[in-house]
Amino acid sequence: MEKAIKRFWPVFVLPTFAAFLIGFVWPFLQGLYLSFCKFTTIDKAQWNGLKNYLYALTEAEFLHSFWFTALFTVVSTICINVAAFAIALALTRSIKGTNVFRSVFFMPNLIGGIVLGYIWNILLNCALTLLGKPLLSLHAPYGFIGLVILMCWQQIGYMMIIYIAGLQSIPNDYLEAARIDGANDRQILWRIKIPNVMPSITICLFLSLTNGFKLFDQNLALTAGEPNHLTEMLALHIYNTFYARSGAVWKGYGQAEAVLFCILVIAISLVQLRATRSKEVQQ
Amino acid sequence: MTRANTIRDRILSVILTILSVAWVYPVVMILLNSLKKETAITTGTAFELPSGETFAGLENYVNAIESKGFATAFWYTLVITLTSVALILICCSMCAWYITRVHTWYSRALYFLFVFSMVVPFQMLMFTLSATADRIGSASTIGSIAQRFGLSAPAGLADISLLPLNTPYGICIIYLGFGAGLAVFMFCGFMKSVPIEVEEAAMIDGCGPVRTFFFVVLPILKPTLISVGILETMWLWNDYLLPYLTLDRTKGYMTIPILIQYFRGSYGRVEMGPMMASIMLNVIPIIVVYLLCQKHIIKGVAAGAVKG
Amino acid sequence: MSKKLLSLALTAAMALTLLAGCGGNTTTSGSVSGSSSGAGADGAKGEVYYLNFKPEQDEAWQALAKAYTEETGVPVTVVTAASGTYETNLMSEIAKSNPPTLFQVNGPNGLANWKDYCYDLTGTPVLGELTSEDYALKDGDATLGIAYVIESYGIITNKTLLEQAGYTVEDIQSFEDLKKVAEDITARKDELGFAAFTSAGMDGSSDWRFKTHLANLPIYFEYQDDGIGTTEAIKGTYLDNYKAIWDLYINNSTCAPTELASKTGSDAESEFINGQAVFFQNGSWEYGALTAGGMTDDQLAMIPIYIGAGDEANQGLCTGTENYWCVNKDASPENIQATLDFMYWCVTSETGTAAMANDMGFVIPFKGAQESNNLFVKQDAEMTAAGKTPVSWNFPTMPSEQWKNDLGSALTAYAAGTGDWDAVVSAFVDNWAAEYALLNG
Repeated sequence: MEKAIKRFWPVFVLPTFAAFLIGFVWPFLQGLYLSFCKFTTIDKAQWNGLKNYLYALTEAEFLHSFWFTALFTVVSTICINVAAFAIALALTRSIKGTNVFRSVFFMPNLIGGIVLGYIWNILLNCALTLLGKPLLSLHAPYGFIGLVILMCWQQIGYMMIIYIAGLQSIPNDYLEAARIDGANDRQILWRIKIPNVMPSITICLFLSLTNGFKLFDQNLALTAGEPNHLTEMLALHIYNTFYARSGAVWKGYGQAEAVLFCILVIAISLVQLRATRSKEVQQ
Repeated sequence: MTRANTIRDRILSVILTILSVAWVYPVVMILLNSLKKETAITTGTAFELPSGETFAGLENYVNAIESKGFATAFWYTLVITLTSVALILICCSMCAWYITRVHTWYSRALYFLFVFSMVVPFQMLMFTLSATADRIGSASTIGSIAQRFGLSAPAGLADISLLPLNTPYGICIIYLGFGAGLAVFMFCGFMKSVPIEVEEAAMIDGCGPVRTFFFVVLPILKPTLISVGILETMWLWNDYLLPYLTLDRTKGYMTIPILIQYFRGSYGRVEMGPMMASIMLNVIPIIVVYLLCQKHIIKGVAAGAVKG
Repeated sequence: MSKKLLSLALTAAMALTLLAGCGGNTTTSGSVSGSSSGAGADGAKGEVYYLNFKPEQDEAWQALAKAYTEETGVPVTVVTAASGTYETNLMSEIAKSNPPTLFQVNGPNGLANWKDYCYDLTGTPVLGELTSEDYALKDGDATLGIAYVIESYGIITNKTLLEQAGYTVEDIQSFEDLKKVAEDITARKDELGFAAFTSAGMDGSSDWRFKTHLANLPIYFEYQDDGIGTTEAIKGTYLDNYKAIWDLYINNSTCAPTELASKTGSDAESEFINGQAVFFQNGSWEYGALTAGGMTDDQLAMIPIYIGAGDEANQGLCTGTENYWCVNKDASPENIQATLDFMYWCVTSETGTAAMANDMGFVIPFKGAQESNNLFVKQDAEMTAAGKTPVSWNFPTMPSEQWKNDLGSALTAYAAGTGDWDAVVSAFVDNWAAEYALLNG
């Protein structure tokens, strides 16, 4: 059978592979090459060695956006996962209307980042005005909090679904056995539920970590990096370096920053992969 | 159930109800504001309900659709989403079947490449990808191909591109390439657990690989197809940067997320009314589709995540 | 070459395998242009691609482009960038195979970034139509840009409210007058039911009104004193006047100074339209929004921004431009010619000048200009005719966006009471030299 399928590779593999070459492999390699160049268009690229990387690693704004992104990712990951897990626990208790609640919490996930950003921009600015406080784009701490609120609103529902699936897959025997043994709710939670949904937890942590690091649309629409690039996250910073600055050097810097960004995200994923693997071995 | 438990459940219900109201509120707020008159929408009054004086009816919606080109943007967004999802589902499931059933070094390498592409952020490719799409799009017009061979193309045909990657009709190829990672990964994950015996039986009965795939494998794949389809639709419908950089703006191609940025004037004036109307027009179809098939969507997401 | 070969090879491969999947849809149904694109298969005629800066004029430009195509058969494509994204749009479009042939820069500092792309307009007919050499943007001997719209800003006044308070526009002839009127209105705020100035809008929606436009005045008077047009280090001679006018704005507005940071430009505009404030610092471009909001010409007037410097009796509105047309040097010769023809047509033909004056509300610095129906533009002409000297726009010589942003933050902090005026002075004077060195260092 394998042989028969093998002969049909032009039918099965070629379409995807050709598109993959155009849509990923070729631009990726070209991007890698250009990160060592000074260029405005691809034809006019000049080899520039490691200068772009040296610049990127010393630029204050890039480093600021890195720390801002890191802080944002940690805070939003914690908020999202704690809240999502709590709601998932509540919704697996067979309360009336569980389905309605679940649908409502999941809904924001379907709305796109740009639209979400605008919605929350209007809402939060209104709240700030009524409180007589500076607008989102004038006070970086509010911008940060706004981003966290926005991400929570969007992502909690998604993570909640995953946690619910995890919680529901715990065999009822475990829980009943524990109750018969006289375990209280807290013990059941920490000794049985949490260890058994560990795979869900790792998945959710991973998803919210990478979502946080790669965040772009929401950042653009909610604060656009204002004030003064202080709320600019890595992806937006790279985009701005690339397109908002004219001059021959900036594209090279931007591409080098993008490569560094890429390495960072890959590193996180590898750590994650290892963590998941070791968990699987334990079980 | 003990009495303490029922009381606790009651309290929980109340908390959850309050939370759900808070969850829906932002969308309701936009809906209410989109019904207000332009001058009545200010930063500080977004929480107020429209009153008799400030109620504008559907004026903002008419404005958004008539003068701002919402209908065009909606159509292009729909075309892009539907063609891309269809292409991704068919091509990637075929590719995944090949990868899982053929055990060679290159099928493994291919699998690794696809998984790798899943992690790479778009900013890494944004410039080169849009440049590639632009180049191929304009180098593959009948006119320029004919010119390369020293011929002149018939008038009227010269502008037709064989591979228009920078249009809503051809961008699906880019999405197939860039979105293949997740799809192939999920299909492979599922296919490993499908028993191979059914397929073998079909092949022994004289089915070729193509027929086996479409009549035997694809039906088994249905739940995964739904999962992948939902995840990809959520991404494509809302994607902003890729179409923004790739689509040929001189032809007026635009998607809804791009359009929403056009309500600001050069001196910072924002046409809040039509903008909120556009937001609602973007959100309403999503909510309708969601209400119609939420069971599938929630199941699909859960299944997708557990495998991912 | 090898890349082109590769793309051809890919084209062939894709055409074979994917046409079945997607090829059925490959007609260019949205196409507006008749001839072929950048590769220029039969581009003898040329075509125009204009990347427009002003979203509010998008419809008028589309209509004008259509009229031109009907008249001459030359395809004109107008693409408008969303607000705040012009530079990013230009950057991504100019790298494409079918780049804009006509784009715009905002002045000398904008030109510094884009001059490698600008075609030298010396000797072109459209340049000969300019009313004054001042409206050409030069780099050495080459003329790389020409202004296509002249705008004015000042303090837009609601005359009806002013009369209710017992004053007329003629009563305000100097900073002292303005201060007296504004403070009197504030003192009787509750009785009158309106305030002197609108609230601010210190976020991106209208911060340029203060960090750029208002800041132009101290710069202008300093340049006048020194007889210069640009500088590498500003002295800040008139910063006390800047403080005086800013204090006047923030202490006599619809809300407390500490709350200014929570208002947007749209808020300021609605306050003015709804009759909550008499004065609103803004420009001739605001006319359309004000009339759309229901205000009439009888109600409106624009007066100069007096800061108590120079010859106030003869001070006019702040009039100038930060919109210069540039032609893309890298476009094909046919397209450059087509673009020049289109520009010439816009500023000389009946249809073109009428559209620019009436549909776009522009006053254009060309000989064939028609009178605009924009009240503020007319007022500017009247004041100039009466012998008043317009204040020129010197903010294109501000060293960088960063400089403006820092100044804006300092002003906001000062208004909120969290920062002092020294910080504003430092942002104005010290940053100027630092940013200038960075730009030209």
